[in-house]
Amino acid sequence: MRTRLQVPLPSRAPRGFSVVGLLVFVAVVAALAIFPQFVKKPYVLHMGVLLFLAVIQGQAWNVVGGYAGQYSVGHAAYFGVGAYVTMMLLEVNKIAPWWGVWAAMAAAVLLSLVIGSITFRLRGPYFVLASISVAEIIRLATLYFKDFTRGAEGFLLGEIPTMNLFGEEILFIGKRPFYFVGLGLAVVAVAVNWVVQHSKLGYYFQAIREDQDAAHSLGINLSFYKNVALSISAAFTALAGGFYAMFVKFIDPNTVFGLDVSVQIVLLCIIGGIGTIVGPVIGAVVLVPLSEILRNPKGLVQVGVLSADSGFVTFVERYLSNAHLLVYGILVVLVILFAPEGVLGVIRRAAARWGRRPQDVPPTAAAKA
Amino acid sequence: MAILDIKHVSKFFGGLAANSDVSFSMEQGMIMGLIGPNGAGKTTLFNCITGFYPPSKGEVLFKGVRMNGLQPNQVCHLGMVRTWQKVRPLAKMTVLDNVMVGALARTTSLKVARQVALEQLHVVKLEHKEDFLAGGLPIGERKKLEVARVLATKPELLLLDEVMGGLNPAESEEIIQLILELRKGGLTQMVIEHDMKAIMRISDRIVVLNSGEKLAEGAPQEIVNNKDVVSAYLGEEVE
Repeated sequence: MRTRLQVPLPSRAPRGFSVVGLLVFVAVVAALAIFPQFVKKPYVLHMGVLLFLAVIQGQAWNVVGGYAGQYSVGHAAYFGVGAYVTMMLLEVNKIAPWWGVWAAMAAAVLLSLVIGSITFRLRGPYFVLASISVAEIIRLATLYFKDFTRGAEGFLLGEIPTMNLFGEEILFIGKRPFYFVGLGLAVVAVAVNWVVQHSKLGYYFQAIREDQDAAHSLGINLSFYKNVALSISAAFTALAGGFYAMFVKFIDPNTVFGLDVSVQIVLLCIIGGIGTIVGPVIGAVVLVPLSEILRNPKGLVQVGVLSADSGFVTFVERYLSNAHLLVYGILVVLVILFAPEGVLGVIRRAAARWGRRPQDVPPTAAAKA
Repeated sequence: MAILDIKHVSKFFGGLAANSDVSFSMEQGMIMGLIGPNGAGKTTLFNCITGFYPPSKGEVLFKGVRMNGLQPNQVCHLGMVRTWQKVRPLAKMTVLDNVMVGALARTTSLKVARQVALEQLHVVKLEHKEDFLAGGLPIGERKKLEVARVLATKPELLLLDEVMGGLNPAESEEIIQLILELRKGGLTQMVIEHDMKAIMRISDRIVVLNSGEKLAEGAPQEIVNNKDVVSAYLGEEVE
């Protein structure tokens, strides 16, 4: 709890349609769509794909964690199911991923209904712990049932079949096709979040987040709406998982079902700003390049930002090569200390201080604090 | 037919009887005052009526429908809704959005809900605060918000749990006028209140609870003159 309330956040829910917001959104998407015409370096496109992947994950978690306030730290379960079902349908049954991913999403929704009906009986930290343990159970089960899942051996992707889109053949070779598919899916994820926020669902989710008993007394069926939130979230997390499997071309239980997958999804939202549409996008923009540079600083050399003998590359490779989780941890501490509403909160606060929307600042709240 | 029938309701927590064998009924359009010393079981009775606790014994009939076993959200959809003694604003949502959440119980359209919410904010005279965050309101306005929010669910029976608690006399008077006006509009209400003057003014009938049991029931004047009630509140006279 912060004891000192600074300029109160003007968090008024958006009314209807913001033309400016839509224009900015279209402009950003258009810029990203023509971007590969100018920059063709694989490292940059690779980072773009990971960015889009993170945006899908963040938007997906945002529905259940951000709006409905149910802090699931077990989203690796849905990510992994999405990855495994898509991959196995392709490798074992020769079903193209753009069909297989629908099955993957359906499987994740079914799983979420089972998990939800059990864990939503719990509130607060107990729910968080239960969500972690369920995901861990699924990871261990995937390792254990080797005959079906190949256990720790994982799956290596042979090749993705050629896609025939309106008579045009699309070969999934190189980073470019993944870049465009990722961008498209990220746009869909953002749009779905917008629709949720601007519907009865969004209001009910937020009411549940703010006060479950009050929400219950106002006619909100808690378990139904929590499960709806989790289902939407699980479906898009599974979509991200399927896309990840096709892009990275190798999955095993630890990389897709691991606890760090769940944690990273949550961090995207916490760092960017929970319960907003822009928040997870900002989180992705901050986190993805950071973790990629820490993992593979040579990429910067390839792009030409750094020279090959730069001390930075050696330093990162020597001391920080596996430290991206550590850096995430430090970031979270900084965000909690200095920007508890995320990066977006800081931006909004600054905007409020410049007096753009004085009518939203309740003087009573300031006086009380 | 009575709109609300409470028949021999008991609620036990372990060995403690928070309510024991409470029975009374309410007619359409009346205001029932529910009073009693602290710990008499008033809020527990509210919880039993609105589905937050299942009664251990007895039954609650609302418009002839058995409420036992229904969830609070189902009770709300049937037309019975309560406020909270300790107010529960949806802190990070605006005042208007808070009331819209109530209104959405009867519609899926945000546009309709917004319209209903604005009307209810007007009823409780809070329309000038529609864009403020609910968490930042002072207590008097939080109580009004609580009332606007339940009114937006279009109830037939309203259960008000100490909506005047913690208010100054001017604010209390506003709430009293609001309750009386709602009755004029035909809304049935059950009111828990500690302010005796207020409860005597607004109630058509009063039920007194003491240690979980119904001590007395009657018109306000009968209650004031009831010896048992006086001794429950003030203690026995020493000879």
